[in-house]
Amino acid sequence: MKMLRKQFVNLSRVSTHLPRNVLASRAASRGAEMSTNVAPAETATAPPPVINEFRTGVTNPGEQSELHVAKFYTIPIEEKKQIFSGGGLPKQYEKQIKTFTEACLMVRSPALELLHYIKNADLTKPAVRYVLYGDNGVGKTLTMAHVLHYGALNDFLLVHVPWAPNWMKRPKEAANSASQEGFIDLPFDAAAWLIHFKAQNSKLLQRLQLKTSKEYVWSKRESTPAGATLIELVEHGIARIKYASETTAALISELKQLATAGQCKIMVAIDGYNAFFHPITRIFSDNKQRVSPDRITLTQPFLDITSYDWTNGVCVLSVDKIAMTEGYMSSYMPRYLLGKEGFEHLDPFVPVHVGNYTDKEFISYINYYLDRHWISKTQPGFEEQLKFLSNMNPYTLMRLVRGL
Amino acid sequence: MGFVPYTTLSSLRTLKCCRLMSMYPPHFAEPILKKDSEIINKKDVSHVPIKAAPNDLSDSIFYGVLKNKLLKYITKKGNGSLAKQLLTDTLETIKRTQIERLNLINAEKENVIIDTERILVNAIENSRPLLQLSEIKRGGVKYQVPIPLTEKKSYFLAMKWLLDAAREKDRKVHLPDKLAWEILDAAHGQGRVIKKKDDLHRQCESNRAYAHYRWS
Repeated sequence: MKMLRKQFVNLSRVSTHLPRNVLASRAASRGAEMSTNVAPAETATAPPPVINEFRTGVTNPGEQSELHVAKFYTIPIEEKKQIFSGGGLPKQYEKQIKTFTEACLMVRSPALELLHYIKNADLTKPAVRYVLYGDNGVGKTLTMAHVLHYGALNDFLLVHVPWAPNWMKRPKEAANSASQEGFIDLPFDAAAWLIHFKAQNSKLLQRLQLKTSKEYVWSKRESTPAGATLIELVEHGIARIKYASETTAALISELKQLATAGQCKIMVAIDGYNAFFHPITRIFSDNKQRVSPDRITLTQPFLDITSYDWTNGVCVLSVDKIAMTEGYMSSYMPRYLLGKEGFEHLDPFVPVHVGNYTDKEFISYINYYLDRHWISKTQPGFEEQLKFLSNMNPYTLMRLVRGL
Repeated sequence: MGFVPYTTLSSLRTLKCCRLMSMYPPHFAEPILKKDSEIINKKDVSHVPIKAAPNDLSDSIFYGVLKNKLLKYITKKGNGSLAKQLLTDTLETIKRTQIERLNLINAEKENVIIDTERILVNAIENSRPLLQLSEIKRGGVKYQVPIPLTEKKSYFLAMKWLLDAAREKDRKVHLPDKLAWEILDAAHGQGRVIKKKDDLHRQCESNRAYAHYRWS
């Protein structure tokens, strides 16, 4: 025992005699192993020539073309606030925006394809449905955001549902509908959607001065007369949360009529559209049974506005695996996710596939991250490793890079 | 903030070779981390027996000796994947804070370190104690005797203190957030861990009269 202690003491004595910086020299000999040694010098010198390469000054999505593929454009702050304040960008992307102090979107080919279709569409024909589909984390929502930005700049009235499954999976409150027997209202979610609608379109609504076509009677004392503006209708729904679901239905049927009459053009954007066709929701009815989505009063208006019986509009929908629940998530194809019923509802539609990054987009993204100081480890070959690990999937890349 | 030279725990790895109960005889060589580099002369290693590589050793960009060590201290009940997640979250929070700091200030942007691993190293180097108090009984009286620490132990204590400080928190605060604050504080030479180290040093200083009890 004593011997052992003696040895320990010897060891510790040795360690105190060593000056601390001996470690440094030892580390230096293993310099290649310690990656971070390289970092500061490279980040200081590399970016300046690269800066113009991955950015574009064209902030209007309508003017972007194949030339701008894989380049970043900045959404001006006011426009971002107007369009996305009620949702529409993924939470983690919002976090990035805050850290990077700019709202940048990459111009990608699915969005350009979609914009090309929309620009060349004949709006006098029935509304065309575009369905974005793709694997998890490939950027369906951001593609939709890009298109929404186009819509907002080109005088489309936006009917935007940031994430439809929220209604089926985690509603704020569920109440029995007063007007329809056996149906369920989601008053708070409907009101939140109305607020979102108002925030996105308030300027355009004021300019267009759209009027309701008939009188809506909510109760004995409350009604919205025919000829009231749509803003009044929306504000009534927000103020009287109890009637928010019915107001939503009324608003959407009004919008359809107005668009068909040619008074406005409408862009419908619904993320996670297949949630409307999921067999079951997490909402319980009075007899403790889970209800199906078609028993929710919010579903019907949004199904109505995505059918083809109206003109002067475009529908951009996305189908998503994570809008479903376990057991229904084995494929990302629209036919599988929508099911027979949903597919027949949408048929015919234009599918737009969103895929992983191409090489060019990947390199552009890495450059962007380097420019924003988000990657600080730049030993040779790090792009290769990231490419291999992330399989060029945007979300995986974002998650991988955060700890670097 | 005094800049601490970038010393890393590559020494932690090399220390293993002089471990008393090592299963390898001393002439065994350490495994090489990088695939292509480092082998200066292949002849030198061609007939040397090499130790088996530890299974957490990797040459990916996500690997850091120090990070790995800290990871093992964070782990509870062998749940390494959770520990990894927590550490990654911590590093992310640190990076976000530093980038926001960088965006806020106008001048002297070079002084803000964004490399999370360097911040981590700085924090740990700053909170490493030199001495420890140990109870030694002489003539029926227990004395608090300052004794020097081994390098490995001092690294251990630094990381342990950081973690202890991080775990002492409100239930509503998540560990990654608190750990990130503590690491950032320590990297700037302030905060609870640094105070703890200074207190210990001060006590050792005041007990210097007992130092000879170590060997007599």
